[in-house]
Amino acid sequence: MPSIIAARGVEKIFRQPRRLPGFIGGLRTLFTREFTEVRAVDGISFDIAAGEATGYLGPNGAGKSTMIKMMTGILVPTAGTLSVLGREPHSNRILNAAEIGVVFGQRSQLWWDLPVRDSFDLNRHIYDIPAGRFTENLRYLTAMLDMGGYIDRPVRQLSLGQRMRAEIAMALLHDPKILFLDEPTIGLDVVAKDAVRKFLAEVNRERGTTIILTTHDLVDIEEICPRLIMVDDGKLLFDGELKRLRATLGSRRRLTLEFAGDPGPIILTSATLTADDGAAKHFLLEDESVSLLDVLEELGRGHGLKDVKLEEPDIEEVIRTFYKTKPQLAGAAP
Amino acid sequence: MKVSAYPAFTVTAFLSRLVYRNQVWSGVFGELVATFAFIAVWTAAFSGSRNVDGVTLPDMVTYVLIAGPLLNWNTTRYIREVGDSIRNGDVTVFLLKPLHYPALLFFNQLGNNAFEQLTITLPVAVIVALTVGLLPPASPAHGLLFLAFWAVSWCMLFLIATLTGLLAFWLLTAFSLEWFLRGIMALASGAVVPLWFMPGALAALLGHLPFAWVSYYPSAVYLGKLDAPTSGVYLLIGLSWLAALAALAGWLWSRARHRLVVQGG
Repeated sequence: MPSIIAARGVEKIFRQPRRLPGFIGGLRTLFTREFTEVRAVDGISFDIAAGEATGYLGPNGAGKSTMIKMMTGILVPTAGTLSVLGREPHSNRILNAAEIGVVFGQRSQLWWDLPVRDSFDLNRHIYDIPAGRFTENLRYLTAMLDMGGYIDRPVRQLSLGQRMRAEIAMALLHDPKILFLDEPTIGLDVVAKDAVRKFLAEVNRERGTTIILTTHDLVDIEEICPRLIMVDDGKLLFDGELKRLRATLGSRRRLTLEFAGDPGPIILTSATLTADDGAAKHFLLEDESVSLLDVLEELGRGHGLKDVKLEEPDIEEVIRTFYKTKPQLAGAAP
Repeated sequence: MKVSAYPAFTVTAFLSRLVYRNQVWSGVFGELVATFAFIAVWTAAFSGSRNVDGVTLPDMVTYVLIAGPLLNWNTTRYIREVGDSIRNGDVTVFLLKPLHYPALLFFNQLGNNAFEQLTITLPVAVIVALTVGLLPPASPAHGLLFLAFWAVSWCMLFLIATLTGLLAFWLLTAFSLEWFLRGIMALASGAVVPLWFMPGALAALLGHLPFAWVSYYPSAVYLGKLDAPTSGVYLLIGLSWLAALAALAGWLWSRARHRLVVQGG
């Protein structure tokens, strides 16, 4: 498939004026020009093909949003080349903007005081959407995102989940070729997160819209994006399928067994004991093929087992494991 | 994108303002107090004389209303909006659209301003006309010329405010600039004291700066203090200033876009 986004050694360095503490320090900043350089994106290269759904994953401050802003043309790379739909985004900002849709989880594009429908209608003018197409898209999006109940209510009265669905609909009204989402599920409850994820996966599958999504929630990637680009501290750590990452690292699930009383030492072949608090014992499941049932079968009856908790590794842990175990994977091609 | 997108912003801005109707009452009240305060000052200054330097008290009452609320509209809200959107990064939302940001600001502010003129200036003008009295334009020709000057005045103040707001890209604060501008505007636009009452040298200097086209020249034309040919010359000078400021704003904007530092990320 032809690539529609190509990044080659992209860098972004922010120069931030150094703020000195205190009142005198504040005054001094009026006269001094001291800067600290922050390397937010450090030599990132990748290709994204039309129709792909890619998760851009990393902890806070990893340079995810910066990369999105460069791809959408509102931030100029310090070095390297970036091409989106065959164009350099920042020097063709307006042409680029007409063909992409963007959702910022923490920044609203809707008009706060007006009904959702008015914001949509303004987009019809901005993107010059033909009337028939607009009506059809609006109907599809209203049904899919279940917006019928609040489309005529002012945005300031909406819940965060409703607002986020409206933001996503707004970004899709003009049939963009690429949809960028910067932390679209941030702050949403489980139900709202699930609705957003299902819809995005559907848009990618049914309409062939290329999706690039930043997140620090691993579940977003699992449900929407087969491909994962992982960054930390501005650098590319991993680029490939999520399955491959998991397979390479092992899933390393954490298991906690709680007993009515201290059952004494428990040794299992299927799980490794990491901590023993007496009545609560913590294990690590290294092997993905081991199921909870296997563990419980091995444990057997008669220990007074009260509760079982199985935790998937969170992203910080995956990255930590990744750092420790397989640094040679860094920069690997998909 | 087609050009009709921009007027859509004017309508949207106007509709947004309709939501806060109680702001209108406080706006009308504040403007009314300020206008009558100025009228009282001029009444005291004339202290019974019919004519000072060829200007009458009814001239000054009309001048107060035109040079003040009508032409020298309050830029505070607009500059803060531009400044804030840059400081907190909301400007990115507009940069994500296939739009020219300064043009968007223009049409957006047009909607905001149309709302304020209709809901605040118009009622104040009606009240002043019914109580103290307002003069009509000096002649139909002066009336027509005034309309042209009004358009220049609006664009001039918009550009001055936009330049102030855009400087926030570099200074990351619009607040101090806004105070600076407020001081300059009070003196140099002629909104408080018309240039014809100022010392010759000061009037000559201020009369050639763009600020004078915001309040002084349009009001003077309305009252017939400038004859038609002279008005034409000043209209042309005003248009040249507009072109220069627009070029400056366009340049600043393109520089700002390049150096755009979006906070966070």
